[in-house]
Amino acid sequence: MERVKQPLIHITKREDMPFWKRMIVRAAAVIIALLISDIFITASSDGRGGFFEFFASLFSGAFGTERRFWMLLQNTALLLGVAIALVVAFKMKFWNLGGNGQVLMGCLASAMCMFYMGGKVNDGVICLVMFVASILAGMVWAVIPAVFKAFFNTNESLFTLMMNYIAMYLVAFFIALWYPTGTGVMSPLPYGNLPTLGDGIAGRVLLPVLIVVAVTAIIYCYLRFSKHGYEISIVGESLNTARYAGINVKKVIIRTLCLSGALCGLIGFLLVGSVNHMVSTTMDGNMGFTGIMVAWMGKFNPLIMAGVAFFIIFLSRGMSQVCTDFGFTSSSLSDIVVGLIYFFLIGCEFFISYKVHFNFIKKKTKQPPADGAVAEVEPEAQPEEAAEGGVQITETSEEGNS
Amino acid sequence: MDATFFSNAIQFGAIFLFGCVGEILTEKSGHLNLGIPGIMCVGAAGGCFGAKLYLMPTADPNGFMTIFMAILFAMIFAGILGAVYGFLTVTLRCNQNVTGLAVTIFGAGFTSFFLNSVVLTEGVSTALSSAGQNFFLAAMPYEALGWFGEIFLSHGAMVYLSIIVAVIAAVVLRYTKVGLNLRAIGENPATADAVGINVTGYKYTFIIVGAAIAGLGGLCYVMDYMGGIVGATVDTTIQGIGWLSIALVIFTMWRPALAILGSIVFGALYILSSRITGIAFYQIPLLNIVPFAVTLLVLIVTSIIGKRETQAPASLGLSYFREDR
Repeated sequence: MERVKQPLIHITKREDMPFWKRMIVRAAAVIIALLISDIFITASSDGRGGFFEFFASLFSGAFGTERRFWMLLQNTALLLGVAIALVVAFKMKFWNLGGNGQVLMGCLASAMCMFYMGGKVNDGVICLVMFVASILAGMVWAVIPAVFKAFFNTNESLFTLMMNYIAMYLVAFFIALWYPTGTGVMSPLPYGNLPTLGDGIAGRVLLPVLIVVAVTAIIYCYLRFSKHGYEISIVGESLNTARYAGINVKKVIIRTLCLSGALCGLIGFLLVGSVNHMVSTTMDGNMGFTGIMVAWMGKFNPLIMAGVAFFIIFLSRGMSQVCTDFGFTSSSLSDIVVGLIYFFLIGCEFFISYKVHFNFIKKKTKQPPADGAVAEVEPEAQPEEAAEGGVQITETSEEGNS
Repeated sequence: MDATFFSNAIQFGAIFLFGCVGEILTEKSGHLNLGIPGIMCVGAAGGCFGAKLYLMPTADPNGFMTIFMAILFAMIFAGILGAVYGFLTVTLRCNQNVTGLAVTIFGAGFTSFFLNSVVLTEGVSTALSSAGQNFFLAAMPYEALGWFGEIFLSHGAMVYLSIIVAVIAAVVLRYTKVGLNLRAIGENPATADAVGINVTGYKYTFIIVGAAIAGLGGLCYVMDYMGGIVGATVDTTIQGIGWLSIALVIFTMWRPALAILGSIVFGALYILSSRITGIAFYQIPLLNIVPFAVTLLVLIVTSIIGKRETQAPASLGLSYFREDR
């Protein structure tokens, strides 16, 4: 019997994977990435920590004391806020890589209000002006690329990236202007403190957290139930469909980016008013980029994104504790681990949307009776088998890293 | 504005040129690699590691071997990260923007960690700056030729290498069958596949080669421009340079030969703030904005003109799956 020649590995699109199976694939990716980081860190830590101490440090760094727990919540809220701001634009397939710059402009506007109005009017007024100013600043920073995208189809990802650096140097300029003899560092100002809800760190953190929770809920409803949200997803899916349906695409792009930038500006306001009371060129903490990863891995769904943001912050705070416990001086170790997690989480999506058939593995399925037209036997890989294949292949991707 | 300024502009432009040529080759295969900043960082780390590997056990190091080892390791490190990007985007068909950003985050973190914890042990920084000196050995006796010599002949090996690489890339893209196939893949991979071109093979090859070339840009910054002095914020600086290199691709309309000129212009703009005298301290950050603002202007102008010759390859940023309709 003559066999039809088949490639060794054959890939097809997968229809719909059940939810629990998707979750297993993702969990496997995270666990493998964590195990690899653990082995790598334990091996290179001159014997100060063991395999299991890694996880102990990780959890103690994130949850160990009451203060750490509240810091975890605060950073999660801020990151989630930025991711929510960006997801509005991403739904429209507008690659807003300028989250860093928009947050930073919000910070700068708030700090300017503090610097110029501090001591002259009372704190309530300053807070109000700060709020408006930072939202406007973030909005302007996002609307400029949006206008050019809408009218001339200018590449928005590079445009927003360049705006990041312009914002960074603007902050450097104002710090140098305000503190001519200084070292380029601004000291915290005692004005414009946001009100606290209770005593200690818990009371201070609660306000930003509540604001972000409210924003998340509102944006979820906005994207899901409002006419605007519907228009955004149509523009994102197909520009031509949107035009035929009579949607004013230019208006939608500009309006959506107003919202996106305003939310970034709001996070800047929270960063200055509640957390730092000053501004520095690195205050965005790269949240614009991390927010993109959060939005992508959260499937653009605000509720899943909250979980992803929590996990990323848990990792980065936990990793800083691991660095201390295992005797590493460089704090960028957490970037490596988080980067690994990104690679694995991005890569594992392949095994959710595609099916891999290993044709060189002999199938145990019954051969159909040989009556002439048997050559085309559809190989049927079991879903479990494909999921396992996923694990194997992501491991090979890791070998390239080390 | 004297000969030294132009000389420095060319020297700095070489960094942009490596990043830009690497990104052009990648984009011609239809892949927008936003991981170039991270890959350039890793190239710098790899280069320092290679130089250390050769310099530390050797009693009487040879200049040529130092350069060779640094270049080799920069290309290996950057190529590996490029291969990771290629695996994720070509084989696993992940979103290119998101994968690129992940590569940048990982690359910058890795570089900062690797340089501080692995490379810069006792006595390495002096060895590295001597390696940096070696990069000037390729310079010719330029003093005799006055301003001409200072501008064109006073550079380290990496500057000349960058121009050679750019010219080779231009010739390959424009005049060879390989270049034609590559451009076809970037425009329409399904058609290229139907003709019988090995789409996956080409994509992998040029993503990895592009990453290796971009990695030399990071090495060029650390060794040639900084003279082997590795600062604490080296990863942040190289990231900024990396984003500008990606923007330079649009500026030069995907032509490596034009990139030679473009990179010198960008180099001049970038070093402007540290060369202009007679301005106040607080005005320096405003001058730092200039290269980024000029890039914005170029982006806007090219998009307004909008000719087909000045546009990106048609399938840039889209994953190719043969069984898609």
